[in-house]
Amino acid sequence: MSFLSLSPAMAGLLLAATAASVVVLYWLKPPPKRVVVPSNLLWNRLLREKKKKTFLDRLRWWISLLIAIAIGLSVATALGRPELGSGDNEIRDITVVIDNSATMATRSSDGYTRWEHAVNEARELLQQGSAGGRFLIVDTAGQAPPTEASDRGSALEVLEGLNVSLGGESQFPMLAASDGELYFVSDGVMVDDVPPEAIIVSVFEAADNVGITAFEIRSVPVSPLEYQAFLEVTNASPGPKDVSIRISGSGGGRLGEDITLQPGESQGRTINLSSFDRGPVRVAVTSDADAFVADDYAFSFLPVRNRTVVVLVSPGSIYLESLLLIEPRVAVDFKTPQEYAAGVPADVYIFDRWAPPTPPPGPALLFLPPDVSWLVPTLEIVESPEVMGWNAAHTLLQFVSLEDLRVDRAARISPLASTDGSADLADIIVGSPSLPLIVATENPEKVLRVSFALEESNFPLQPGFPIFISNALSWMMDEQVALTSVPGRVEVPLAAATVVDLEGNEMVTWTVADRTVFVADEPGLYTAARGTRRLRVAVNLADRERSAVNATSFGAGVQAASISQPLGAAQPAGWGDELWILLLTIATLLVIVEWFTYHRRLTV
Amino acid sequence: MPESKLFDDEFMNRLNYLNIVSKHMIPGHLHGEHRAKKKTDSGIEFADYRQYVSGEDTKNVDWRTFLRLDKLVLRMFEEDADLPIYIFFDCSKSMDHGDPSKYDFARKIAAALAYIGLLNHDRVSLVGFADGIAQEMSARKGKTQIWRAFNFLESVEAGGETSMLKAFRNFFSARRRRGLVVVVSDFLDETGWDKAFDMLRFYKQDLFAVHVYTTDEEHPDLPDEVLLEDAESGNTERIKVTPGLLDAYAEVFAEHCEEVNAYCRKNGYGYVRCDTELPFEDLILRVFRQGRFLG
Repeated sequence: MSFLSLSPAMAGLLLAATAASVVVLYWLKPPPKRVVVPSNLLWNRLLREKKKKTFLDRLRWWISLLIAIAIGLSVATALGRPELGSGDNEIRDITVVIDNSATMATRSSDGYTRWEHAVNEARELLQQGSAGGRFLIVDTAGQAPPTEASDRGSALEVLEGLNVSLGGESQFPMLAASDGELYFVSDGVMVDDVPPEAIIVSVFEAADNVGITAFEIRSVPVSPLEYQAFLEVTNASPGPKDVSIRISGSGGGRLGEDITLQPGESQGRTINLSSFDRGPVRVAVTSDADAFVADDYAFSFLPVRNRTVVVLVSPGSIYLESLLLIEPRVAVDFKTPQEYAAGVPADVYIFDRWAPPTPPPGPALLFLPPDVSWLVPTLEIVESPEVMGWNAAHTLLQFVSLEDLRVDRAARISPLASTDGSADLADIIVGSPSLPLIVATENPEKVLRVSFALEESNFPLQPGFPIFISNALSWMMDEQVALTSVPGRVEVPLAAATVVDLEGNEMVTWTVADRTVFVADEPGLYTAARGTRRLRVAVNLADRERSAVNATSFGAGVQAASISQPLGAAQPAGWGDELWILLLTIATLLVIVEWFTYHRRLTV
Repeated sequence: MPESKLFDDEFMNRLNYLNIVSKHMIPGHLHGEHRAKKKTDSGIEFADYRQYVSGEDTKNVDWRTFLRLDKLVLRMFEEDADLPIYIFFDCSKSMDHGDPSKYDFARKIAAALAYIGLLNHDRVSLVGFADGIAQEMSARKGKTQIWRAFNFLESVEAGGETSMLKAFRNFFSARRRRGLVVVVSDFLDETGWDKAFDMLRFYKQDLFAVHVYTTDEEHPDLPDEVLLEDAESGNTERIKVTPGLLDAYAEVFAEHCEEVNAYCRKNGYGYVRCDTELPFEDLILRVFRQGRFLG
């Protein structure tokens, strides 16, 4: 017998201490109670007759002591989590790599998922190891903590803490060289590069699956105020499938279509969303005997489609005027600084080389503004500044390349030297903290400040300039299509934001640099918010590789797990596995026996 | 009589009740007739005839019978004689046990029996004994002595070891008339109660034994390990209590009672066992039913 929680020396010490404590406690029994009786005459007569039975009395004491020691040793041994040896004296080290990629969530014909079968197989493998062996559980999604091989109990704990990772990359982990046995429990679909020494235990069983492999909402290129959805559905089943597609959204918008897909066939659909209102859009596909649920539905967000009223206040900018005139989403009103008066109604204000003395009533885009009280003052003018970098992941720079950006003259401002203490909300889009070139703030209205004039740079001549202006208008109107991500770890380009799902449940988040990170276990539409700013993230599986649940790389020679054996009727753990339960049961029974015999004065 | 704790009004009422009940129980128990009647050649009430023996006085020869049967017979008459009742109550330390205590119970029994005896015009002596005679109230007669008897019983304190033999030897070594000896005790006597009874038999005294004990004494409730201290001697005995031991003790106690009972039965003496939790009236009526006091 060995102990999972204690070394043999510690276990021996614990048992010895327990036994000694029990014996000492027996010797330290309180002195007998003194009772005055009328006469000892009858007692003496009785005890004279009983003298010959003192041996039995002594035996009672010893029996009682032995029961107490047995109780103490049983509990102490149970604390050490003992297990019986497997019979062979050979020490076996076992490493089990378990595949927890998305396709492991596929349900088998017995109703259990491949993952549940894999966990069962891994548990069996661990139980087969010798008691003194070392065990390691590693997964392909990197969920298992990076530990070294340890006892079986710790490995089982790690195994119980793992689950299927729908998103993220799955790969065979790098393992230190070992003489032990290496097992890989998988369906063989998403993980390649399995080392040849690994003994593969397959939990693969062919299954039906029809899934959404693409879903996205985009504005119509020729009509930016209109949106359409692109949907792709793939049949990964071995046979043809009748598929029902249902799209639903806000305002009661619903669309549906029934199609038939041949094995391996994908069909795309472009769907006009003109009948849908602003809000979440959900698409679901249903087919008979579908074994993989995670790709059967997907989400996105449909933004607002109103024309944006823009006031451009400029002494004259051919670039901006030309661009805004051809921007179909915009109704533009050109004004000179002299014509601008506070309170001009507009959705967005653009100030070119000029700024009003008071903040405008809406979001604003400023190019090289002069010093006014509501803006961060200019420190100096820098000639030919170098563009040190940009935040390519920011919404404003989506599809915008700044590789060839050159600036002749720029104002150096300090985004941290905010006049109203809102510096923590400043977001450097282009440039460095020492020389920010484009800075976004929200306090409370969104302000996008460009520290150089368009005429003093080649920015208007860049291909990305119209896109930047379009992104800026979208950003300031807070109506963007949803960001996309796969299930798992999701990063949102918004620091210290709160994230809620469609039901309003707040997700656990943490901030990494200027991003908020959360874990989305399943597809859904999530909203990240900080202040008045909101970002929507559509988390969808939408991946042909993940939907291809039958694309196993395992050949016929691979050891197959007993899929046909019902997991629900799994045999209870043997006493060798859970010896502590047996010991605690024995201790409980002994306590009952002691209680029974004590109250009947059979023991002392 | 000053207010008494032991013999309060309630107790007196009980005694009166017992006196009335006792008269109904025994027909003819009126006017203080005595249980022991002496046949003499003088008196008023005819009792019997007996054969005339040569040399006897001829004044009681029944001449009518002589003429009819030609035999000389003498007429015998009954003469009322008072009965000496010696009530011995155990006042050793072992009696001061239990709630109510055996000692109080024993004194109440002694008081009740003295009360009945005095009402019946018997000569009642009260003797408290422990290791010998502790205190003694000499023979009294007549119901006017009742309060004296009660005062005496209240004045005696419990204490000392038990030696019934020594007490009887001291008491009966003086010349005493034959009578009824009532012993109220727990009979836990190291020197042997049977030897004391043998002495009574030697003196040809009639005996009525009242065995007093408590329920706790018969079925003790003791912890697992206990140091038993003898109330009289102070000796201690360490024992481990088991159900078997308690059962064995109960058997020994029953044997002890049965030994006393068997001795009395064998010698024609009266014997009553009384648990202190018994209603007092029931106990006294049981004593009466033995027929030794009344009729």
